[in-house]
Amino acid sequence: MTPLLYFADVSFSYGDRVVLENIEFSIAEKSCVALIGPNGIGKTTLLHLAAGMLSCSSGTVWFNGSRLDSVRRMEAARQVALVPQQADVPFDFTVEQIVEQGRTPYIGLFGGLKREDRRAVERAMELTDITSLRNRVFNELSGGERQRVKIALGLAQEPRLLLLDEPTQNLDLGRRLELLNLIDSLNQEGVTILASMHDLQLIEGTFSSVLLLGPDHKLMSGSPEEILRPRILESAFDCPPRHRLTFADEPRVLLERKQ
Amino acid sequence: MEAEIVESAISPATSVQARNVHLGLVVCALMCLLILVLLLSIGIGAVKVPINLLLGSLFGGHSLSPNEKVILFQIRLPRTLAAGLVGAALSVAGLLFQGLFRNPLADPYVIGSSGGAVLGGSIGMFILPQFSWFGFSATAVLAFAGSATTIGLVYWLARVGGRTPIVNLLLAGFAVSTMLSYSSYFVEILGEDYGVGMRALASWLHGVIGVPSWTQLLVIAVMICLAGLFALPLARRLNTLALGEDYAHQLGVRVEYARIGVIVVGSLLTAAAVSVGGLISFVGLVVPHLGRMMMGPDNVRLLPVTALLGAILLMLTDTLARTLLAPSELPVGVLMAFIGGPFFLYLLRKTKREYSL
Repeated sequence: MTPLLYFADVSFSYGDRVVLENIEFSIAEKSCVALIGPNGIGKTTLLHLAAGMLSCSSGTVWFNGSRLDSVRRMEAARQVALVPQQADVPFDFTVEQIVEQGRTPYIGLFGGLKREDRRAVERAMELTDITSLRNRVFNELSGGERQRVKIALGLAQEPRLLLLDEPTQNLDLGRRLELLNLIDSLNQEGVTILASMHDLQLIEGTFSSVLLLGPDHKLMSGSPEEILRPRILESAFDCPPRHRLTFADEPRVLLERKQ
Repeated sequence: MEAEIVESAISPATSVQARNVHLGLVVCALMCLLILVLLLSIGIGAVKVPINLLLGSLFGGHSLSPNEKVILFQIRLPRTLAAGLVGAALSVAGLLFQGLFRNPLADPYVIGSSGGAVLGGSIGMFILPQFSWFGFSATAVLAFAGSATTIGLVYWLARVGGRTPIVNLLLAGFAVSTMLSYSSYFVEILGEDYGVGMRALASWLHGVIGVPSWTQLLVIAVMICLAGLFALPLARRLNTLALGEDYAHQLGVRVEYARIGVIVVGSLLTAAAVSVGGLISFVGLVVPHLGRMMMGPDNVRLLPVTALLGAILLMLTDTLARTLLAPSELPVGVLMAFIGGPFFLYLLRKTKREYSL
């Protein structure tokens, strides 16, 4: 079966600075994949490449059997949605107006929202449980609510692949768990998910596989059990020697400080 | 985080109600107001013609004296129409620039496009007064070139590593526009040999809507209509760009094209306005704000409302400018600064928190 997303020997550099080097991985349709790695290692760049927003310096990004860079931008935006980390809106747009922007790839420059566009917007708001916020001003929402609105915008694009850039950032524990439930339910709906994650504790149980982008530009992929191992993580994240990662009885990563 | 939640609880968003205002109704109401202001404006002056007589003459019941006819149709009507067109053009340009720079404080005056248009226009006026290109005078053509070049330059100066931080942009705009304004004096000195005087330039720099010829009016009307045609699709793109460049890009928008489109269309509008009215500040800043208070932030809805509001505001201001100190005349730019300046400061004060850069 053709994978939905396939990075074939992809390298990327900003000028002289090499960010990704000979990356190779694939993501099957309907899977739920976490992308982890230390700060500044290129997770966001990788997501931008997967969304077709950047072109790789060498290698090819394949989406559903065709080269992503040969797909028209608008067409790509109907297949892949990226939910960026930041969204600061300088004007008082309401939640509904924000989510409606997700239909941009579907509507022409002169046309307005049609019935199927309205339906997609409503459905996206229902899935993310923000229907009651529709008339609120986006800028006045809490962090958790904003995250839901951003995901709703992505869902309004009706993508096959949803890319989430640090979706749990700045959320409290309860909102993080809510967000995991949301990711889980979206995945159940058939949306393929690739999310960059900082909270390693949250990965197991929700994500079916893990991509680890290490400091030497190398990529490891495997199941959470294979990747979330103290020795692998300690070296990948360059943990200071006085700390040690351990597993508790439950298979999750804990941080323990040595005496 | 806590502060944000509390605030949203106590301040019911005004823009939510504004968003549900019916666009058609607002546009109709503003049209009526526009016509009223137009009649009022051509009726007021040293020779007063009350509105009932004016309407009577239009519908044939009453005939005006030849003298009155000249004053009304050769002097006041073109001037009032020019004020309306200039106001509409500057306001829409302001709306577009605010959208592009994602900053409600950007307007043609602040970011230097007016200054560029003045320099280009004064080169045309003082050095190439005879030049004409398809009926467009050198003033209009060079004002456009000046405006577009300035914005391009300011944009390029302000761009750091693929992004355009607003502080850089506003500072670059300020520096460039100040240089340009003074360069215009220089051009004027060069042009003195050609017999066009300091007064013409001074009136330009202060923003005076003189009495344009009907040909001049037609030229700027064409420029403004042309720009208006492209402004609608751009307004839609600006809604998406409000989410940020990454977002717009992600949604399939060609950010660079949208940018170039806004620069070209905004410059066309600025040039049209400047070639008739000179340097008029604050219109492009105040009017989109008034529009947002009425309609919410959707640029597509804002476009017609902003154009009409701008026309009304500048017609009113220009009428005041020529009647307040009659028989002498106040430059409309000066009066606009009196009105717009405090409003700008009020905005700055009010939005300090949100736009802390």
